[in-house]
Amino acid sequence: MTDVPAWIIQAQHGDDEAFTNLVEAFQTPVYNLCYRMLGEAAAAEDAAQETFLKVYQNLGRYDRERSFPTWLLSIAAHHCIDKLRRRRFTSISIDKDEEGQTELPDRSAPDPETETERKQEKDRLHCLLQSLDPTDRAAVVMRYWNDCSEEEIARTLHLTVPAVKSRLHRARRALASLWQAEAARNGPRRRPYESPAF
Amino acid sequence: MNHRPFDDWLLADQPLTPQQKQELQAHLQNCPQCAALAEVNLALTSARAVPPQAGFADRFQMRLAARKRAMRTRNLWGFLILAVSVVSILAWLAWPVLKVVLRSPVDLLASWLSSLVSLWASLQAVGHVSAVLLRVAPGFIPASVWAAILLAAGGASLLWAFSLVKLTKNPQGV
Repeated sequence: MTDVPAWIIQAQHGDDEAFTNLVEAFQTPVYNLCYRMLGEAAAAEDAAQETFLKVYQNLGRYDRERSFPTWLLSIAAHHCIDKLRRRRFTSISIDKDEEGQTELPDRSAPDPETETERKQEKDRLHCLLQSLDPTDRAAVVMRYWNDCSEEEIARTLHLTVPAVKSRLHRARRALASLWQAEAARNGPRRRPYESPAF
Repeated sequence: MNHRPFDDWLLADQPLTPQQKQELQAHLQNCPQCAALAEVNLALTSARAVPPQAGFADRFQMRLAARKRAMRTRNLWGFLILAVSVVSILAWLAWPVLKVVLRSPVDLLASWLSSLVSLWASLQAVGHVSAVLLRVAPGFIPASVWAAILLAAGGASLLWAFSLVKLTKNPQGV
């Protein structure tokens, strides 16, 4: 990651190999953002590739004073928001499982049952995310998966910091109420916050 | 049920004191709404990023190469369409001339040759008249007029030389 500024300069001077290094360095955060935003592996792959193509075409206009990851995620987030608005996204089936793309349970973990439960919760969270407004979803993904600060999210999504805070609170409340409704449908089970790790 | 201050604590992402933690645990036992918020918090903070399938950068390079090829093809087609359009417009504008040329090229060539010959003859006549005037005119012009003409020419030359020197020393617009 320390080579990133040098790769950016080289890529701005037309070095395709340096740009490939940038793709390799940032493929996971960009892909993950697209996956969480769009909910499907194929759509996420396409969106992540298109994001890097847009970055490639606009790299000459990138201001090196700005944070490169924030700029990159901003392009990815806006691409996904546009895509979602275009296709008038309908919520995907909660039972749908993306083959080879979901987080598989870690079989080497000390307690496979707990690990499976954790995996199910993550899948559940991933499905519930799809019910959020695209901008709220982008804010949640950037906050919790990309560790972006509220200021960075505000810059990325062209919002004010109080608006980001309000969107994050609203999104978490909405997720909690969906989570609760789903738990009521599925019956009682062990609550994770009851574990000593909470 | 009163959820305050528990939902504020859950939403604030701030570390809690042991006393607050105890109170929150007790509240969560009886409040499914706050319990769901706590579970969502836990799921979000322990979420892991999903990587793309292996070979993402290679697939990107292939897509970039395909995009560049498509761009080149589009540019080529754009240039061809532009060239055809320009040629068509020029042909449309030049159609009256082209029509004549296509109808009788020999007649057009003959008329151009005739015009050239006429022009040549006119220039020769003007040359003859000028030569005669140069031979005859000096005799009709008095010496004083010649002196005035020479003085005016000399003055103009001096003025020109003076301006040139002044402009060289003090260039304008620098």
